Amino acid sequence: MAARNPAPPEVREKLSRALLDHGDRLYSLALRVTRDPDLAADAVQEAFATALERAGGFRGESSLGTWLHRIVYNKAIDLLRKRGKETALPDEETVVPGTDEDLARSPSWSRPPDEILLGAETVAALERAVGELTPLQRVVFELREVEGRTTDEVAEILEIPAGTVRVHLHRARMRLRALLSDHFRKAPA
Amino acid sequence: MKCDELHRRLTDHADGVLNAQDCAAVEEHLKDCAPCGALRRDLEDLARLCRETRRPRLPEEVRRRIAALLRTPAAR
Repeated sequence: MAARNPAPPEVREKLSRALLDHGDRLYSLALRVTRDPDLAADAVQEAFATALERAGGFRGESSLGTWLHRIVYNKAIDLLRKRGKETALPDEETVVPGTDEDLARSPSWSRPPDEILLGAETVAALERAVGELTPLQRVVFELREVEGRTTDEVAEILEIPAGTVRVHLHRARMRLRALLSDHFRKAPA
Repeated sequence: MKCDELHRRLTDHADGVLNAQDCAAVEEHLKDCAPCGALRRDLEDLARLCRETRRPRLPEEVRRRIAALLRTPAAR
């Protein structure tokens, strides 16, 4: 293999800063894709190695954080494929039963008090519910609702139209509301 | 605006991509429809739950390995 030019110090500096600023978020994204902590860690590490190699090609059209998210997302999918894709891939969406109207008919959460809404049992129920989303819904939900990125940034990371992001986000929100509805009905008043 | 149409537009409404007329129609419906108002409150609570939930952290060992990689002069 031909020797690569070492990345200049300023590039290393920027990526080191990005590791501090975005490391946890990149790991969360990889976890949502792979659902495997080891594979997610590998995806983040390989993504930084790739970023180091390709940093000269980064033209700043997107932010460094957005660019790294895109690399991590693609690495996570590649690693799943190499492993024989035990988990469905985000670009292989499954059809989920139930229309939006069925989901909308789920009982309301009725404004649970903070100690229940933000309690450990609800957090665990949310994690279980997110696990029931389709792979693309999980990733869109993570980036948009949890990380708070804009729809356009999510579209850029996943390389899909913004309208598609909104459709998957809407479905994810409606499904999570329906899935958590039971949890809040059983929660003590 | 009917309830099913409102449900489809809630995310667009939250994203601020509806035109003024559609936005007003959504607001009008939400004022008068208790079930849709409850749905919107649930989605607001879901957003808050997500914002305030502690996220997984990149394991320290992995962070150290990446930091070392970024310090090493040769790419690999």
